[in-house]
Amino acid sequence: MSFQVDARGLDCPQPVINTKKALEKHDALTVIVDNETARENVKRFLASAGCSFAVSEKPDGIYISAEKGETAVVEKSPVPGEAGSGPLVVVISEDVMGRGDRELGAILIRSFLHTVTEIDNRPGILIFFNTGVKLTVKDSPVVDDIKALEDSGVRVLVCGTCLNFFGITDQLGAGIVSNMYDIAEAMTGPGKVISV
Amino acid sequence: MIGTESYHVVLFHSVNCAMYADRLLKQKGTPYKLIPVPRHISSNCGVCIRFPSQNQSEVEEVIQGVVEFDVIRPLY
Repeated sequence: MSFQVDARGLDCPQPVINTKKALEKHDALTVIVDNETARENVKRFLASAGCSFAVSEKPDGIYISAEKGETAVVEKSPVPGEAGSGPLVVVISEDVMGRGDRELGAILIRSFLHTVTEIDNRPGILIFFNTGVKLTVKDSPVVDDIKALEDSGVRVLVCGTCLNFFGITDQLGAGIVSNMYDIAEAMTGPGKVISV
Repeated sequence: MIGTESYHVVLFHSVNCAMYADRLLKQKGTPYKLIPVPRHISSNCGVCIRFPSQNQSEVEEVIQGVVEFDVIRPLY
C-alpha cells in the first residue's frame, strides 16, 4: 500500500505542501482531500512534478493516487538571488490600478488589461489577490480580457483565500483558483515580477 | 481581443467625460469597451469608448447632447 497523505479538513495551501513533502521521501502515495479546490491544486502540483496520477471519489473523500514518473522532479528551492530567466509575472493586488482616486484607478485597470491582450511581450503568469480577485468574476468588465489572455497561454492564478473572503468563489469567470503556495512560487521564481 | 468585427470609437476631451459615457452606456446595456486611445489616433494618454460599428446610432442616442465628446470615428 502506498504512503497516505490525509489532507482532509486542511486549508489551502496545506494539502499541496503535505503532498510535496511526502513526495520528497516516497515514490508512490495517495493523497486524500475533501474539496474541489484542494483536488485541483494537488493535481496541478503532481502534474508539474511529473507524476502520473489517478483520482477516485469515495464517500469519505477524494483519493488521488500518484506515482513518480521517469521525469519526476521535486524541485528544491532555488538559490536566492540566483540569476535566471523565467516567465514575466504580473501581480494585481487591487481591483484598481495605482493608489489615489478609485474611480480613475478602475478605468486604468480596464485600460491596462485591454492593452496587455494586444502587446507582444505578454506576461507568462498573471496573479490576482486581495481585492484584485474581484476583477476575475463573471460580471467584471475585464473578465473577457483575462479569458483572452488565458486562452493565449497566460497562466492566470486567482487567490482562493481572497475569493472565499469576499464570498465570490462561485462567481469566478476566468483563471484558476490557486493558493499561496503557487502564488509565492511564481513570485519568487526566476522571472521578473511586476506589481500593478 | 480584436476580432474581425469593425469598430468605431468615441473620443473625448476629458477622461471624466469618458467615464460619464461609460456609466451611461453600461446602464443602457449597449455593447462597448473602454480602451486606451490607440496610438495611431493620438499620443495622448487617454481613454476612449470602442463599440461595434453597427451600434453607432445606439451609442449616439445615449451620449448625444448628454456627454461632451470630441468625435466618433472608425477605429482603423
